[in-house]
Amino acid sequence: MTPELLSTYAADIDNIILLVAVLTGFWFVAAEGVFFWLIWRFRAKPGVKSEYLVGNERHVMKWITWSHGLVLICDVFIVIGAVQVWYNVKQRLPEADSTIRVIGQQWAWTFQHPGADNQLDTPDDIFTVDDLHVEVDRTYHFVLESRDVLHSFSVPVFRIKQDAIPGRAITGWFEATGTGEHDVQCAEICGIGHGVMAARIHIEDSGQHAAWISSASAAQ
Amino acid sequence: MTRHRISRAAALPILALGLVACDATPPPVGMVRGAELFETCAPCHGDAGLGDVDIAAPAIAGLPQWYIQSQLQGFQAGWRGKHADDLAGLRMRPMAVSLNREGDIESVAQYVASLEPTFPPSTLHGNAGAGAALYEQVCVACHGAAGRGDEILHAPPIVQLPDWYLLQELEDYRRGARGVNPADTWGITMRANTLVMTDQAMADVIAYVQTLR
Repeated sequence: MTPELLSTYAADIDNIILLVAVLTGFWFVAAEGVFFWLIWRFRAKPGVKSEYLVGNERHVMKWITWSHGLVLICDVFIVIGAVQVWYNVKQRLPEADSTIRVIGQQWAWTFQHPGADNQLDTPDDIFTVDDLHVEVDRTYHFVLESRDVLHSFSVPVFRIKQDAIPGRAITGWFEATGTGEHDVQCAEICGIGHGVMAARIHIEDSGQHAAWISSASAAQ
Repeated sequence: MTRHRISRAAALPILALGLVACDATPPPVGMVRGAELFETCAPCHGDAGLGDVDIAAPAIAGLPQWYIQSQLQGFQAGWRGKHADDLAGLRMRPMAVSLNREGDIESVAQYVASLEPTFPPSTLHGNAGAGAALYEQVCVACHGAAGRGDEILHAPPIVQLPDWYLLQELEDYRRGARGVNPADTWGITMRANTLVMTDQAMADVIAYVQTLR
């Protein structure tokens, strides 16, 4: 069972994975079917001598060329769909309502949220470890960094996964479409504690989020 | 014996092995279980618990069981190792969280306490004479004249700790990366004592601590 779909592009990512699975699954079943049918069809029979086929005769070649052409047509559909999703998720950067900084390190996530001024890198910023707070229906930019080795910021309900690379600040985006508390994980082997490098994302409505900013600011 | 009988005879030990493999019951609380759990600690702290400066993993061999337990519980509860600037603590915390069965913490703490401590050489070269005065003024009340700690005051022994680790922790206390969580009662006390310490004072007092061995 897959996790809920809670970002604006989560369904697009699932759909392209489904398209790839269906098309490759169809061709896998078809190829295996033809393979075993040929084994059965040309099985050893008493009195029938085997025949050596070079494979370049027209009636033999069609089994390769026709299916090859059909696979290429399927590839076109996959490429068009994948490029659209890639552009939307990775290349396009819609205007942000808010920006957060996500810092990976062995083996924790540090999140820098803007405070009440909604500006990052100001004195009222709120730092948390392993707890990310965002507001539903708002576009967030995240600036992803790593303090040590490769990590990957993965939020399964958003279907997002982005590598964090030491020395680089990588910007991405998401917009949550539903509230709740969900997993954040590291999706890149990063050492012995990789498996327990887990965090939680708290997706809140505007009232809840304002209340959290207020209480977290007071505790800073 | 027929082939079927042979198969059946072979199946029994295989089934028994399978049942043993599926048995999730951990060994009883104690040294055996502690040694098993310590395999998770060894990659950073070393097989003998002597630490590794390159990854900021301190020597833990021979620290008292009560202190190891207390700190592991702190990591689990989040009053230690959950500050954004406590880089070494952030690395340690998830490992402590993975000790999630009843008796895990007690077992591994017992095992660590049983390891033979060593006394790592000095690397900071502070002025031990100057540090002695500060130690007598501030630290002695909890850590004792011999630096062996006091369980009642939750003060660990500090004589066998490497100087780089002592400095790292004093700096973390001073800048608020440790000892700021309200649940860390004893850490708050410790932090208060570091707020007035200069870098030189820290190096000096650490140099003095190392003369207590």
